[in-house]
Amino acid sequence: MLSRVADTLYWMSRFVERAEGITRLVEVNRDTELESGGSQDDLGYWHSALQAMCAEREFETSKWKEPDAFILFSGKWSSSVLNCINSARENARMVRDQLSEQIWVELNSLYHFLNHEDAAREYGEDASVFFRRIIRFSLVFQGLADATIHQDEGWRFMSLGKYLERSDLTSRVLDTLTLLDSEPTRLDLMRALRSCSALSAFRKTYRGALTVHNVADFLLFSPDFPRSLRFAIRRIDGQLHEISGVPAGSFSNEAERLAGSALAQVNFSDIESIMDKGLHESIDDLQKKLIDVGQSIFETYVLLPFEIKSASPLPYLQTQMQQQ
Amino acid sequence: MAQNLQINFSNPPFRMSSNRFSTYQANGYFDEMFGLGSSPLTHYGEISSRFSDLQSGEIEAKQRQAAASFLEHGVTFTVYGDDEGTERIFPFDLIPRIIPLCEWQVVEQGLSQRIVALNLFLNDVYHGGRIMKDGVIPREVVESSAHFRKEMVGFDVPRDIYVHICGSDLIRDGEGKYLVLEDNARCPSGVSYLLENREIMKKAFPLTYRQMSVRSVEAYPEILLKTLEYLSPRQSGKPVCVLLSPGVYNSAYFEHTYLARQMGIEIVEGKDLIAIDGFVYMRTTHGLVQVDVIYRRMDDEFLDPAFFKNDSLLGVSGLMDCYLRGNVALANGIGTGVADDKVTYAYVPEMIRYYLGQDPILEQVPTYLCWKEEDRKFVLDNLSELVVKPANESGGYGMLVGSDSTQKERKEFADRIKACPRDYIAQPIVNLSRHPTFCDGEIEGRHVDLRPFILYGDDVEIVPGGLTRVALKKGSLVVNSSQGGGSKDTWVLKE
Repeated sequence: MLSRVADTLYWMSRFVERAEGITRLVEVNRDTELESGGSQDDLGYWHSALQAMCAEREFETSKWKEPDAFILFSGKWSSSVLNCINSARENARMVRDQLSEQIWVELNSLYHFLNHEDAAREYGEDASVFFRRIIRFSLVFQGLADATIHQDEGWRFMSLGKYLERSDLTSRVLDTLTLLDSEPTRLDLMRALRSCSALSAFRKTYRGALTVHNVADFLLFSPDFPRSLRFAIRRIDGQLHEISGVPAGSFSNEAERLAGSALAQVNFSDIESIMDKGLHESIDDLQKKLIDVGQSIFETYVLLPFEIKSASPLPYLQTQMQQQ
Repeated sequence: MAQNLQINFSNPPFRMSSNRFSTYQANGYFDEMFGLGSSPLTHYGEISSRFSDLQSGEIEAKQRQAAASFLEHGVTFTVYGDDEGTERIFPFDLIPRIIPLCEWQVVEQGLSQRIVALNLFLNDVYHGGRIMKDGVIPREVVESSAHFRKEMVGFDVPRDIYVHICGSDLIRDGEGKYLVLEDNARCPSGVSYLLENREIMKKAFPLTYRQMSVRSVEAYPEILLKTLEYLSPRQSGKPVCVLLSPGVYNSAYFEHTYLARQMGIEIVEGKDLIAIDGFVYMRTTHGLVQVDVIYRRMDDEFLDPAFFKNDSLLGVSGLMDCYLRGNVALANGIGTGVADDKVTYAYVPEMIRYYLGQDPILEQVPTYLCWKEEDRKFVLDNLSELVVKPANESGGYGMLVGSDSTQKERKEFADRIKACPRDYIAQPIVNLSRHPTFCDGEIEGRHVDLRPFILYGDDVEIVPGGLTRVALKKGSLVVNSSQGGGSKDTWVLKE
């Protein structure tokens, strides 16, 4: 398929996943505020959330007073939910011929909703309805992607986008626990799990032993929970080999080599060694690897060999590349 | 009591019976539904009774559904110079235009004759210009056209066809006679609306549609693909055709993706293509793939910045070299703009006689050429009774409708005409036919035109009908979508 099309599908899918992840983060943070009854410094949660998304400075220099409204509706911050949906739809417009009609209609309807004043009104009147709308859209989008289009190369690039974004989000949520001023409380740990839709799955596994150690173990190493890093990286590695046709365990390009190495890291290390090394450092390391996987997918499948050395990527990707 | 009365007022009796049309005024124009009389023409019988039968509110509801469906499906175009790139739906009117078969057959023959003559003309112009030597068309008129490409002189285009896709605009005058208003021989757009309008109408009025035996239009993308494949320099195997679009910000981007999807070909942008050693390739995830035919939806000069010496970011450096070596085909060919120049237009009837030895089947609007001293004098003396058009613009931009203009505007146009007479033509104001159209709760007459799409490959093929464009603003004669026009579905009947 056209390289640009592969790249566009990949980003469309990433932005939808990002919109969902960030929405959930805001939802959970607002709930935690209620739980804490204002006894703690509420801004603390938001502070670590903004920090994990590298959006602290953007927020401080923006006109927004409320962090939640900023994260959802900022026109300037490129990863606000509004901008994620706008970017996803912009990408979708470029590859409409590859999408099913239903996928387009869902995405386009949400786009028109979010860009209308009704969106902010709905959020003000009943935030839970608003959150449900965004998250439900993302789930419908994923369902349609699996049920209404060919599971061919384009779909694999969408899948790559989804799992790279998801692993990035999970790692950022986990990282918020290391960015607090004090030791994470029960509420902090619940918040992290809920931000990854992982609370009930976690309880099933650990029966209530809510510790940083267990939460990190679960979000990093769970073999079958779809938002754990191990699960996501396994999918990334699998899709890359499906695309190239090279058997798993070997590699034919840089993306495969890096994904294989990240997979080895989550397959063959355990929570003890991670905690010894330092949770924040380990997450940071994994995050960097995943960013490199994204970059090398771009270099392998989008650029021509003689273009890779040129310092700047093609102009049409700059905005998207910046957001990695 | 008072409340009841009010309800009665806002909810008129259920059946509108013939009331929908009883107050309809043709106002002396030729009306598509009523002709010059006061009762519907035979071929409009079912439509007039179907719309009369509609209950109050029903038509509004259908209209809203149609608009919502267009927006939802992203059937939009972008308006330039208006809030940078606002997306709008192309306003759609539910009352279809009906063309009886016998009328359509004449139009079809006339358009076929015309596209054949235009292609013979282009081939001649770029190969010595017999028609100019014989004094039928002055050489300076042709060679001064903004879209004349001297680089194409002597080059043989594939199959000797230059214009593969043509959108000619037809209007009907005060007596209902079809006239050609202009030819669009570069990148005519609008066909996706024709196809989408039909989908909407089939959903809104399924029974009427079936009863009336309407000729189908759905084969267009298939015929277009056949037309493109016919040009391929490699005739063995399946030719690789692509649609080259300027990208997502182009006003017709919806149409580009729509057609590419319907044909099952790739939609590419300039950066997806690369010219290497005289061949064009597209970049794919599995390396470079050679391209045979490019259906390009951008003007000549944007195609190749190296060749046309500009800084277009939309094109592909080296593309023209591949084209001139015959390794890739372009549709439409390069240099077709000389055929849809509005000055050239005035000579099309002469072309038809000259190349085909036939009389033109379709008449056209008398045209005054400002570069001729005599015509210019007449135009300048009669500006308020004429329409002045720039020779090389499209989309209804830069026109003067004399009857609708201020003295200041007329003065400006007079100055422009005197400064660059070659760039302007003038035509008498034609009383465009009108069609019943749903406007603010009433059915009123609005001016319409018709843009059929003519495909020229192995043979000339025209999908029945075309895009009926309607000037929604009361009294307006300008139907272009960029100027507040809308559209209607066009039904050519099987018998």
